[in-house]
Amino acid sequence: MRYRVVTGVLLLLFAVLILLNIGIGSVKISVSGIVSSVLGEGFGTNEYDIIWKVRLPRVAAGVILGGALALSGFLLQAFFNNPIAGPFTLGISSGAKLVVALVMVFVLGGRSSSSVMLIASAFIGAMLSMDFVLRIARKVRRASVLIISGVMIGYLCSAVTDFVVTFASDDGIVNLHSWSRGSFSGMSWDNVWVMTAVVFCASVSAFLLSKQIGAYQLGESYAQSVGVNIKMFRMLLVLLASILCACVTAFAGPVSFVGVAVPHLVKAFAKTSKPLLIIPLCFLGGAVFCLGCDLIARTVYVPIEMSISSVSSIFGAPIVIYMMARKVARD
Amino acid sequence: MPDTEYFFHAEQLTVGYNGAVVVKDVEASVRKGQILTLIGPNGSGKSTILKSIAKQIKPISGAVYIGGHSIGNVSHREFSRQTAIVLTARPRPELMTCGDVVAVGRYPYTGMLGILPERDKEKVDEALRLVGASDLKDRGFAEISDGQLQRVMLARAICQEPEIIILDEPTSFLDIRYAVEILDILRSMATERGVTVVMSLHELNYAKRVSDLVMGVKDGQMLFLDTPDRIFTEEMISRLYDLPDGAYRQLFGGL
Repeated sequence: MRYRVVTGVLLLLFAVLILLNIGIGSVKISVSGIVSSVLGEGFGTNEYDIIWKVRLPRVAAGVILGGALALSGFLLQAFFNNPIAGPFTLGISSGAKLVVALVMVFVLGGRSSSSVMLIASAFIGAMLSMDFVLRIARKVRRASVLIISGVMIGYLCSAVTDFVVTFASDDGIVNLHSWSRGSFSGMSWDNVWVMTAVVFCASVSAFLLSKQIGAYQLGESYAQSVGVNIKMFRMLLVLLASILCACVTAFAGPVSFVGVAVPHLVKAFAKTSKPLLIIPLCFLGGAVFCLGCDLIARTVYVPIEMSISSVSSIFGAPIVIYMMARKVARD
Repeated sequence: MPDTEYFFHAEQLTVGYNGAVVVKDVEASVRKGQILTLIGPNGSGKSTILKSIAKQIKPISGAVYIGGHSIGNVSHREFSRQTAIVLTARPRPELMTCGDVVAVGRYPYTGMLGILPERDKEKVDEALRLVGASDLKDRGFAEISDGQLQRVMLARAICQEPEIIILDEPTSFLDIRYAVEILDILRSMATERGVTVVMSLHELNYAKRVSDLVMGVKDGQMLFLDTPDRIFTEEMISRLYDLPDGAYRQLFGGL
C-alpha cells in the first residue's frame, strides 16, 4: 500500500517535471504546444525545433542518467553494506571523469568523440577507482574510513581533471568545461540512444539480481548458504554499478550525491529495502531528482546555466550528512 | 568410500584459513536424525570445523560427505537445498522485517526473481510458528532482542527445509528458558523429521541433554567422539578443559 502511494506520487512528479522541463526556458512553450509538437505537428517551426533538438534529448538524458545514477548507488550500497556508499562518495564518478578528460584532451585532441568511446574510457576510469576502493575496503573494516578515502580520491581526480581541462581550454574543446563540472546540456539524439541501450541492459541485469541482493542483505555467509554464487555475484555488482556510473559520467560529467540520497529517500518513504521493489523505484526517483535539479540549474540564472552538481549537492549533501550522523550515532 | 548408513561423514578432515591449519584429522559419522555436538575450550577451532562442513570455507584436506555426496562436488545451489546454517554473527539488514529474513530461507526453491508463491509463504509462517515467533513476523529485524533473533534465525533455517542443520552456538546470549526451547525444537526436528544436526555448544549441561554424539575439540585436534554418557565423566571433561583436580565435581556435580 505504502509502496503504491510512493510510486504514484513519484509518477505524478515525473510527469509534471517532464512537462516543466520541456516547457520552461528562454522560449516558453505551453502544454498544448508541447503535445502537438511531440505528436509531430508544426514541423519546421521554431517551437518544434526547440523541443525536438534541444529539450527532449536533454529531458531524456536527465531521466536515463538520473535513474542510472540512483541505481548505481543502490548497487554499491548493497555491495558494501553501507548506506553512504555511492558513485560520488566512493570517488568512482571522479575516476571516470578523469579518464574521460584525459582521452578527450590527449587522445582525441579536440576531435569529436564517439559515444561508445566516451563510455569505454569512463568505464576504465570507474574500474580504476573501484579497484582502489576495493583495496582499501579489504584493508580497513571501518565503513567511515572507506567513505573518507573515497571522497579524497574523488578530490584528487577532480583536481587532476581541472589541470587537464585548464591546459586544454585553448584548444576550444566544446563543452569540456561545463561537462567537467556536470551538465545535461548539449545532448544529441545519438548520445541518448547509446545511453538508453547501455543503461537499459545494465538496469535489467540489476533487476534480475534482485533475489541475490536480497539474500546478500543478510551477509555473505547466509547468501552463500541459500545458493548464491558469491564471487560471481560480487563481480556482477561491481561491474553493473561501474557501467551505470560510467555512462552517466561520460555524458553528463559528475552529478554528486544522487546515488546516496535517492536510494535512501526511496527506501525511507516506501519503508522497505526489498530489491525487487526498490530497484524500479530507485530508477524513477533518480529520474525525478535529476529532472528537478536540471530544471533549477538552467532556470535560476537565465541565461547562465549552473552545473547540475551544484544543484544536486544543495539537496543531496544535507541528506548524506544526516545519514552519516545517524549511522555514527547508531554504531 | 563413505558408509552409506551414515548421513553425514567427515573423513580425514583438516580445516583452516589460507592453508594455515586450525584443526586436523577430524573423523566423524552421524546417522540421519542424530545430533552431533562439538564442545571444547574457546578458540579450539569448533567454528572453523562448522564453517568447513557448511561449505563456507574450503577444507585444507580430507572430505565431507552429506547424503553420500562429497560437498566439494556439489554446487552451492544444490547444497542449499540440503543444508541450512545458523551463525553467531548478527546480520544487519536495512528495513527488513523478521518475516522477510525468514523468507530468505525459501530462496533455494523460488524462481529467478525470488517471488514467493502462496505455498512458500505458508512455509515461512509455519517455521515462525514452530519456533514460537509468529508474533514477530512484521516486526523490524533490527528491533528484536538477542533471544528473539536466535529464534528468527532458526526459523529461517527451518523453512529452508534442510536435511542437515549446522549451528554455531545457537544458545549463546539466550536465557535458560529460550535456550531449552531452541534445543527442544532441534531435538524434535531430529527425532520426528529425521533432520541431522551438527552444532557447537558452550553449555555442557545442554550438550549432555540434547546430543546423540559429542565431539571434544582441543588445541587443533579432535580429542574424542562418543556418546554423551561416555563423555561426561570427570576424566574426559577435565582433560578437555584442563580442569584442576576436583573442579569437575564442584562445577558439574549435578550433571
